[in-house]
Amino acid sequence: MIRVFGYLVWRSAYNRIRRQLRHLRSPRYLAALLLGTAYIWFMIVGQRSGPAAGELPDPRVLELVGALALLGAVAWGWVFGVERRVLAFTPAEVTFLFPGPVSRRGLIQFKLLHSQLLILFNALLWTLILSRERFGVSPWLRAISIWVLLTTLSFHRLGASFVRTSLSEHGRLAVRHRIVSLVVLATVLVALVWSILDALPEVAAAAAGGPRSFLSAAAEAAQRPLPTALTYPFRVMVRPLAADSVSQWLAALWPALVLMVLHYVWVVRADTAFEEAAVETSLRRAKALSECRAGSTGRSRLPRTTAPLFRLAPVGWPAGAILWKNLVAVTRTRRVRNAGLTLALAAAVVGVLSFQPGGTLSAIAGWLTLFWAGLTILTGSQYVRNDLRGDLLKLDLLRSYPLRGWSVVIAEAGASTLMLTAVQLSLLGLAYLAFLGNETMVPDLEERTLLLLAAIVFLPGINLLGMLIQNGAALLYPDWVRLGSGRPGGVEALGQNLLMTIAFVALLAVALVVPAAISSGGFLLLRPALDGWAALPATALALGAMAFEAALMVEWLGRIFERTDPTAAGLSF
Amino acid sequence: MIQVEGLQKLYGDFPAVQDLSFEVAPGEVLGLVGPNGAGKTTTIRSIAGIIIPTKGRIRIAGHDLSADPVAAKSALAFIPDEPHLFEYLTVEEHLRFVARLYRLGEVGPRIPGLLDELDLSDKRGALPGELSRGMKQKLAIACGLLHEPKALLLDEPLTGLDPVGIRRMKATIMQRAAGGAAVILSSHLLHLVEEICTRVLVMQRGRVVAFGTIPEIVAGRPDLQTRKSLEEVFLALIGEQESTGQ
Repeated sequence: MIRVFGYLVWRSAYNRIRRQLRHLRSPRYLAALLLGTAYIWFMIVGQRSGPAAGELPDPRVLELVGALALLGAVAWGWVFGVERRVLAFTPAEVTFLFPGPVSRRGLIQFKLLHSQLLILFNALLWTLILSRERFGVSPWLRAISIWVLLTTLSFHRLGASFVRTSLSEHGRLAVRHRIVSLVVLATVLVALVWSILDALPEVAAAAAGGPRSFLSAAAEAAQRPLPTALTYPFRVMVRPLAADSVSQWLAALWPALVLMVLHYVWVVRADTAFEEAAVETSLRRAKALSECRAGSTGRSRLPRTTAPLFRLAPVGWPAGAILWKNLVAVTRTRRVRNAGLTLALAAAVVGVLSFQPGGTLSAIAGWLTLFWAGLTILTGSQYVRNDLRGDLLKLDLLRSYPLRGWSVVIAEAGASTLMLTAVQLSLLGLAYLAFLGNETMVPDLEERTLLLLAAIVFLPGINLLGMLIQNGAALLYPDWVRLGSGRPGGVEALGQNLLMTIAFVALLAVALVVPAAISSGGFLLLRPALDGWAALPATALALGAMAFEAALMVEWLGRIFERTDPTAAGLSF
Repeated sequence: MIQVEGLQKLYGDFPAVQDLSFEVAPGEVLGLVGPNGAGKTTTIRSIAGIIIPTKGRIRIAGHDLSADPVAAKSALAFIPDEPHLFEYLTVEEHLRFVARLYRLGEVGPRIPGLLDELDLSDKRGALPGELSRGMKQKLAIACGLLHEPKALLLDEPLTGLDPVGIRRMKATIMQRAAGGAAVILSSHLLHLVEEICTRVLVMQRGRVVAFGTIPEIVAGRPDLQTRKSLEEVFLALIGEQESTGQ
């Protein structure tokens, strides 16, 4: 059976790549490939000309940081069970494999084999990203280390997700079946909570000294016996990567391989109830996938029919209906009201706490929300996707509407821009309140207020440009860009997501160069006459330049939208 | 009124539709029939403004689709065989969404009647995920009919409908035609085409094989005189009988 699965996976991948390469006959795709190749080459060359051997990071630090990162990824998997997407069978797989003479275990093995494509691709990317100089082993050994790490992690998160699914589907019966997994999980949880509580006073005190002091205290706390024991399996996974000689690598690899094999056995040798739960999840996902062609986003559960946050006015800008539709979709997929209430409560709490002596807890909350806000500026546009990236799957329908292309593009990108900006400003507002009572902090309250105002003024424009870049990529390269609600997820796809993020940030930076230059020039010219007030016309100039750029992009993308042939672009269902 | 002049659509070197010209007058129902790959869907999607023809001119209610696409599309409705719906909008919200797109103003009072006509009244607050395949199709049809289009394009509209739904759908099509809409109906269900279409356009390999009423088509081809039903005429026209050795 494995040979049949291998044939299916190999031929599907081969034909898919062949189809992708066929696009290279189009100058647009060829240019993108050349740019992408140059970009990856630049990344590798840039890395190799980086730090010299004497500047190698301490392997112990590398091991610890890697282990903590893996611990976080694993914890995320246990909490959210995101790896169930590995079991998302396509409608064709459901049609051919589910009624066929294939055991449930065989189905799971097939999907594990299939997930290896993504893992191998990302292992290759990470091998290129992590330069030889930094890790001291050959690229081949590094590739094997990364493959073992990503595969183990994928198996673990899949197993965790199975346990979660089994619990939600079979309740007490599943508890009996998964007793070993649950006992191990409970032990780890107790130990983790105990370790955190044990270290909290020192770490919290250090947080008042800023992020560096906080990280240093956290690293020191991680060296204690219990945290060391907790992080041991993760250290085993990272150790081959941190080895700086072949003999060290060999010694570090076999425990990592044993861990990987144990995970494989854990995932595949599951009892029937457990497998049934997994297959049920797959079927639900497959159904959702098949409905994707009719407009679904591939979610396994039905959305909730809640009243929209605001009603669609019967008259007004016609494309406003698309904007409204996309915002309604967000309110029905995310618990916006609950999130809003939680945020308001958190704002009140941290605001009050910031005036407490020391203000440690509010400071930690402030730094964390600032970190998240920063992260959403860099990566938010890849996650907030209620725009053309979702709706291009219904291009036939969009094209039949009596709307010009530019109005569709601005409505689609505008919806994502509004959502992302709302998230970012909420986080920044929370951080502002968390530091409200802090009188010793630099920048001071007045400067922080100005920074918040600047964010309110500039973030919508920056986000709109970012969303236009993302939507433009989807319109220009519909067969190369992932369409629908999600992007490649999981830790194993982190390599390609990282490269995409860097490329996106570079493009956004290029788009912001002209507004920044015009604004700076205006400020320098007007400062002698207006002093600090020159910032106001400079801001207006920057906003005007961003609006002009956005208008050009919208007009251009609108024309592409009108010219895109759904059949030729593979978007016709 | 739908006017198509010299329509051609190429995919690379492959001609999906070649030199196609016809008109559909208000009140007329044109049946578009042909074997798989004949170019029916390409034709109907070109008229709907979804794909851009390689050559040719299309006018909807007097508006050139290429020069004035917004006005042309405002006058037409395209109902595909696969209902494309938005997962997060309820049945009623779909109608309000379409009303805003087509600048219809307040449509609240019209919604109950339309939902009743398509047997969707008790699903007003349901999301597409809660609807059966047939109900989704009915909702797509309701969205298409809301703005009272002057040109109605239907691609296999009966797919997924139950017998009652089929009957209602046929009545709806004929009612719209009687109200002055020009209708193009693409279907493999030849008895349906024969029953409700005033004229038939038979396509094969992107070209017109026959065009007219069934008596006109039969009259123009002496070899078809013995064929009585559209099915027999169709099979004779596309050479099916020769290929099966009869």
